[in-house]
Amino acid sequence: MSDLLSLLSVGSSAMMATNASISITANNVANANTDGYSRQVVGDTRTGSAVRVQDSLLNGQIQTAAGSLAMSQAFSDALASLETGMSGGGATVDEQIGNLFSKVGQAAAAPTDSASRDAVMAAARALVSGIQTRAASTAQARKDANTRIGDNAAQATALAKQLAAANTAVAKSGDPAARDRRDLVAKQLGQLTGGQARIDKDGLMRFTLDGGAVLVDGTHAATLATTTSPSTGLSKVEVVDGPTRRDVTAQIGGGKIGADLKFRDQTAAQAATKLDQVAFDVTSSFNAVHSANAGLDGVTGRNLFTPLAQVAGAASSIAIDPAINADSKLLALAAPGAGPGDNTGALALFALGTQKVASGGTATLGDAALDVVSGVAFAGSDAKGDVTRDSLVSDHLAGLRDSLAGVDTQEELTNLARFEHASSAMTKVVSTIDGMLGSLISSL
Amino acid sequence: MRVTGNRLIDLSSASTSKAQSAVGTVSAQLTSGLRVTTPSDDPAAWLAAQRTKLRQAMSQGSGAAVATSRDRLGITDNSLASLGDVVSQIRTLAVQGSSDTYNADNRAGLGAEVHGLFLAALDSVNAQSNDGEYVLGGNQSLAAPFDAAGVYHGDAGTRAVPGNGGLTTDVTLTGASLTAANGVDVMPLLARVATAMSANDMPTLLAALPDLDTAVKQISLTRSKGGAAMNALDQTTAARGVLEQDMTAAIARYTEVDSVTAASDLAKASQSLELSRAVTSHILQVLAPSP
Repeated sequence: MSDLLSLLSVGSSAMMATNASISITANNVANANTDGYSRQVVGDTRTGSAVRVQDSLLNGQIQTAAGSLAMSQAFSDALASLETGMSGGGATVDEQIGNLFSKVGQAAAAPTDSASRDAVMAAARALVSGIQTRAASTAQARKDANTRIGDNAAQATALAKQLAAANTAVAKSGDPAARDRRDLVAKQLGQLTGGQARIDKDGLMRFTLDGGAVLVDGTHAATLATTTSPSTGLSKVEVVDGPTRRDVTAQIGGGKIGADLKFRDQTAAQAATKLDQVAFDVTSSFNAVHSANAGLDGVTGRNLFTPLAQVAGAASSIAIDPAINADSKLLALAAPGAGPGDNTGALALFALGTQKVASGGTATLGDAALDVVSGVAFAGSDAKGDVTRDSLVSDHLAGLRDSLAGVDTQEELTNLARFEHASSAMTKVVSTIDGMLGSLISSL
Repeated sequence: MRVTGNRLIDLSSASTSKAQSAVGTVSAQLTSGLRVTTPSDDPAAWLAAQRTKLRQAMSQGSGAAVATSRDRLGITDNSLASLGDVVSQIRTLAVQGSSDTYNADNRAGLGAEVHGLFLAALDSVNAQSNDGEYVLGGNQSLAAPFDAAGVYHGDAGTRAVPGNGGLTTDVTLTGASLTAANGVDVMPLLARVATAMSANDMPTLLAALPDLDTAVKQISLTRSKGGAAMNALDQTTAARGVLEQDMTAAIARYTEVDSVTAASDLAKASQSLELSRAVTSHILQVLAPSP
């Protein structure tokens, strides 16, 4: 009799286990399309508790790859925007420089002709406007990146709080779904900051930024804040934890924030500096030649462009001398005292086109202007390659994760049928034993 | 390796998107004719094309200067040709007037005719270019170089324009070549002949005859210099034409799409897209729940 009672207990346990399996399988099917969900299986047949199928190492790789992809994608997008600002919407600065030299060359054949002089002035105005427009585009691109940094830092702070809350939930219940949510939040946080998540012995997740600053420590989350520098107008990024503030601007090298920091402080800043140098070199080289020659009135010593005191900000400050801008007769195309029909000044200005007067005497003005755009273009091309590479890595890792933890509805439906049959069988076993026990008891 | 239905759908839709993107890219290239639409599409090719455009702009500038100068030299040559004709006619009249068979009245009549020719010559040497410059004025080109007496007030300043290879080419002739520095003072000589004829001043008239011969030669020599300059400019223009064609071809090579290659790429991308769509459709059919 005791054996029959034992068998009844086994049958009952088996029924519980199959019922738990049916429940878990149904849950898997219901979450087949849930982002970050890991399929679950029965962990303990006695309690029917669920465990998720996952690989911590793979999860770490996925989180790192997501950070890299987010960074390369954000960097590529920012560069594409800057590239459009530098090369789209009409002639590029190098083309405008070429056009100015072309008009000066034409004026060399007719230095007294007002139409030729007006054409030179129109080309000079177009160049000034072009440089100013490109400078404004670059400044706007940096400003946009700065705004995105602030927005993403706020979003990272919210995610850090969610991660701390997910740690609390995991500590309380150990629910597999809570762990999935925690992994997903860590991945999203990685996409914003490029930091690293690790699970310590206490089962709680720590999220650390590049350079070691801790953003989430178990159930406690710090804040990722931005503070605008009064001198530059640009934000620095700080980890704020109570009274402690740690500047991590130079340390965040990944994620969307890292991409925008790199774009704002390196690539776009370099483009802006180079454009300033071009504007400064155009102004100083043209003025040196122009002031040594004479206008139609025979007067020398006039600058074509308003002199610039420094390289910084030259691209937005470049301007044509107001007097010459108003009267093209003042354009100095003749040698001093040679008479209005002389074109020595025009030839000297034209010769600037092939002289290395830019970038400290290492490049022509046209090549220096080309270097501004080509620097952005090469970076953009590299970034597109990085996006392709990181997408492939992410895609490969997603495949590996799906292979391990993804829900296959066909497989789950097969399991469901199997568990239903097992449940029916167990019901019959229990029923049979129950009948046998009944017979035994009634025969006593 | 375990592959879930969702993964299969993801892979097939990613493959379809990629194929669709490839078709879009090649179609856009075929439509625009451009392979490089933004610098980052091919930075090296874009850079090479832009450098060539810079050289082309410089070349076009000097080309336009050469064309303008060639026109101006043409006007100068016409002016000198007219002057040469007038001087020859005046010389003929001077020889005629110096004959003993002519009396003072006859010479006065001839003198009036020579004076008219002198005025025509004055118009010729004060010719202006299309932009209003006096072509024989040298650097003093904004005022008529010869006054009513035929005295030259211009200078000997010549103008050069950028030629090929960074060199400059002289493109102007000045009225100085018609002054005593280069032979005789042509225009005052004509005025002198007219006056001598009208005044029946035989010694002056006879003395002017060899000077008129010199003037004819002087004008001819000046014209030949102009002809040589025009020839040089024509050669420069021809060479520049070839250079600019090469540069245009180079820019096209760097940035434009090869239509045969692009058409082949489009066919491949379209096939790939069709295949991806078929695979996606098949996967969706297989994974669809049974009715």
